[in-house]
Amino acid sequence: MTNAISVSGLVKTFGRTRALDGLDLTVGTGEVHGFLGPNGAGKSTTIRILLGLMRADSGKASLLGGDPWDDATDLHRRLAYVPGDVTLWPNLSGGEVIDLLGRLRGGIDAQRRSSLLERFELDPRKKGRAYSKGNRQKVALVAALASDVELLILDEPTSGLDPLMEAVFRDCVAEEKARGRTVLLSSHILSEVEALCDRVSIIRGGSVVETGTLVELRHLTRTSVTAELAHEPDGLTGLPGIHDLRVEGNRVSCQVEPAHLDELFGRLAALGLRNVTAAPPTLEDLFMRHYRTAPQHEVAR
Amino acid sequence: MSALTGAGTLARLIVRRDRLILPVWGLLAAVFPTSIANSTVALYPTAESLRSVAEEAMANPAQLATRGLVFDASVGGLTAWTVGSSGAMLLGLVSMLLVIRHTRVEEESGRRELLGAGVVGRHAPLAAVLGVVFAADLLIAVLMSALLMSGGLPAAGSIALGLSLAAAGWTFAAVGAAVGQMTESAVAARGLGVAVFSVFFLIRAVGDAGGVDWLSWLSPLGWTLHVRPFAGEQWWVLALLLCLVALLVAAARALSARRDLAAGLLPPRLGPATAVPGLRSPLALAWRLHRGQVVAWSVGFAVGGLALGGAVSGGLEGQIDAPQIMEMIARVGGEDARPVDFFVNYLLSMLAWIVAAYGMLSALRLRSEESAGRADLVLATQVSRVRWALSHLVIAAAGPAVVLVALGTATGLGYGLSTGDLGRLPQVLGGALAYLPAVWVMTGIAVALVGLLPRLATASWGVWIAFILLDVFGMLGQIDETVLNIIPFVHVPWAVLGQMSTAPLAGLTVVAAVLTALGVVGLRRRDLV
Repeated sequence: MTNAISVSGLVKTFGRTRALDGLDLTVGTGEVHGFLGPNGAGKSTTIRILLGLMRADSGKASLLGGDPWDDATDLHRRLAYVPGDVTLWPNLSGGEVIDLLGRLRGGIDAQRRSSLLERFELDPRKKGRAYSKGNRQKVALVAALASDVELLILDEPTSGLDPLMEAVFRDCVAEEKARGRTVLLSSHILSEVEALCDRVSIIRGGSVVETGTLVELRHLTRTSVTAELAHEPDGLTGLPGIHDLRVEGNRVSCQVEPAHLDELFGRLAALGLRNVTAAPPTLEDLFMRHYRTAPQHEVAR
Repeated sequence: MSALTGAGTLARLIVRRDRLILPVWGLLAAVFPTSIANSTVALYPTAESLRSVAEEAMANPAQLATRGLVFDASVGGLTAWTVGSSGAMLLGLVSMLLVIRHTRVEEESGRRELLGAGVVGRHAPLAAVLGVVFAADLLIAVLMSALLMSGGLPAAGSIALGLSLAAAGWTFAAVGAAVGQMTESAVAARGLGVAVFSVFFLIRAVGDAGGVDWLSWLSPLGWTLHVRPFAGEQWWVLALLLCLVALLVAAARALSARRDLAAGLLPPRLGPATAVPGLRSPLALAWRLHRGQVVAWSVGFAVGGLALGGAVSGGLEGQIDAPQIMEMIARVGGEDARPVDFFVNYLLSMLAWIVAAYGMLSALRLRSEESAGRADLVLATQVSRVRWALSHLVIAAAGPAVVLVALGTATGLGYGLSTGDLGRLPQVLGGALAYLPAVWVMTGIAVALVGLLPRLATASWGVWIAFILLDVFGMLGQIDETVLNIIPFVHVPWAVLGQMSTAPLAGLTVVAAVLTALGVVGLRRRDLV
C-alpha cells in the first residue's frame, strides 16, 4: 500500500517558538487517519505545510507522491480541504461559495451537492455574513465532500456542529472511506476519532508522541478496574504496575498496566470478588496520560 | 443594571487597544497647525506678502474648493485657512473610523457578544467609544491651542481653531455612531460614513468655489470653517455644531435601542442558491468582491467631478487680476495657458490622491483576504498564488483607471457646461488619466509591502500620508526639491494645460510594475499567515 501522506522530521519555527519539532506522520492510502492533539500542538501548522500554504524549515513531506510546496497546484486538484475556522465572503451566498470552490477544484457533482445540502440542512441562499460558525463549517464541508477527490484534509471540521450534524458528518466520512478515499481528520474530539479512524497519531508540543491503530495504542496503556470485594482490601498498595488506587470501604478502583493484570486479579480474587468492571481505556484516558505529564517542549502560541 | 453599566471598563479597554493609534494620531493632528503657522511666518514675513498670498488664494477656485475662504490675511488667518479643511478631515474621518471600529466591527466579529453577556449595559459600548473619542478630540484641541499660543498667535483664535477642529471630530464621531447602527457589515458602515463626509465636503466645496454662500452653510464642514479663527471668531457656530452632535447621538441611541445585537436596520437579503456559470475563476471572484467599490467610487468621483469642475471653471475667464497667480500659471503652463485650465488641473491633482487611496485599498484586499483565512479556501484548490494575486491586482489596476475616466469625463462635462466649451472634454479627461501611472505606483507600494513585509501592509497608509504632508510642505517651499521627487505625483504632467510628456509616465509605469512584481514574487515565496 502506498502512502497518501508521508512526513518525516518536520520542523517549523515562528520566531522563538518551535511549532513543529521533528514531526513524523504517515497516512496510508484509503485510510481514515485521526490527528489528535490539544490546541496549539501543531496540527494546523502541519496541515498548512501539507497544503503548501507554509514552507517547513527542515524535514521532508510528501503528499500524494508530490512535493506540497513545489507541486501545490497540481496536488490540489486531487484533494479538498476544510479549515477549522471557516470564514466566508460576506456578500457571497453559501451556494455560490460551494459552486465556486468546487469549480476551482475542477468540478462538482451536482447530485451529491444537493443531497449533502439536504443532509446537513443547510440553506444555500444565505449570505456569508449571515451564517453561524456551524453553518459556515457546513458550507466548507459540502464543498469538500461534493467534489471528486482522492484525499480529504479536515481540520477540526465539527468544532461548530451540533451533535445531530456531527452524526451526519460521521456518516459522510464513513461513505468517503467506503469509496476508497483517504481522510486526514484533525480533531480534539475523541469520540469522533474513535468512531471514524483506522489509525491515530497523537501530537503534543510539535511532535507525534504515539501513532498506531486504536488497538495498538490501547496495548500500550493501562486498564481501568473497579471492583467490589467481600472483605476490606489490603495488600494492594504494594503491587507493581498499579496506579491511582482508591479504596472506599469494600470498593476499589485503580488503573493497571497490562503486564500486571494477572497479579492484580489474583489478589482481588483472593479477597472475594462480588462485582468487577474492567474497561479498556477510552481515548480520553490516552489523552489525559499524554497531556497531564509535562511535555518536553511546551508550545506557547 | 443601568443602560450604561460597564461603560468605564469598556472605555479603558478601548484606550488599551488603541494605545498606539490614539497618541500618534493625536500628536500628528495637534502639531500639524503649528508647523503650518511656523512655515507661514517664515515664508511670508511681511504684511504685504501675507496679503498677496491671501488674494492669490481667493482668486483660485480650486483652492477655494479644497480649503475654503480666506477670512483674514494674517499668519493666524492663513494658518486657519490652510489647516481648517484638512484638519477637519484628519479629526473627522479618524474619529468616525474609530467609533465604527469599536461598535460595528466589534459586533460583526462577535466580540461584542462576549461582552454583552457580561455586566454591560445596552448603551455602554456606544457611550464608551464616544466618551473616549470625544475626550481625545478635546485633548487634541487643548494641545493644539497651547502650541499655537506658545508660537505667539492670539489666544482667542488659537482656542477657536482647536475647538472648531475638535467639533469636526465630534460631529463625525457622532455620524460614525449613527451609520454604525444602520448596516450589518463594518465595510458598509465605513462606506456610508465616508460617503456622508464626502457629500458634506462637496456641498461646502461647491459653495465656496462657486461663491454660493448659503450652500456652504448647509454643511457642517462649512460651519467649522465659519467659526472663523483669527478673523473675528464666531463662537455661536460651535453651539450649532454641538446641537448637531447631540441630535446624531440621540439618533444612534434610538436606533441601537430598537434593533437586535449584530442586526442592522434592514434585514439582509437572501442570495442565489447556486452560482452563475461565470463564477468559476479567481478573476471572477475578485471582480465579484471589488465591483461594488468600483461602481461606488466611480459614481462618487463622477458626481464630485461634475460639481467641482463646474464650480471651479464657472464664470472665471478674464476675472483674474492677482499677478502672483498669473505668474504661477505661466510658470506651470507657459505664457498662453488659460487660468481655467490651470485650476481644473489643480483640482485633478488633488483628487488624484484620493484615487490613489482607492487603488491601495483594492490592493490591500490581498492582505485582508489572507489574514481572514479566505485566501486559504481558494489556494487549497487548483489556483496558484500568483494567479490569485494577479486576479485581485488586475482589478486594483483597472479600478482606478475606471474611476479616473469617470472623474475626467465628469469634470470635463462640468467645465464644458459652465463655460459652454465642451470641446475641452478630451483634454480634461487626458489630464485625469495622466495620474494613472502615479496611482499605480502608490498601489505598487502597497503590493510590495503585502508581499515582502505583510505585517507592515497597513503602513502603506503611513506612506500615503507622508507623501501628502511632504507635498503640502513642499508647496510652502519648505522642502528640498530632490526630496520631493520621491512623490510620484510631482512627475505627472499637467495635461489639461497641454503638457504631455510621455517619459515621466512611462517611468512611473515601470516603477509601478517593478514594485508590483517584487510584491508578487515575495508573496509567492513566503508563508501565508
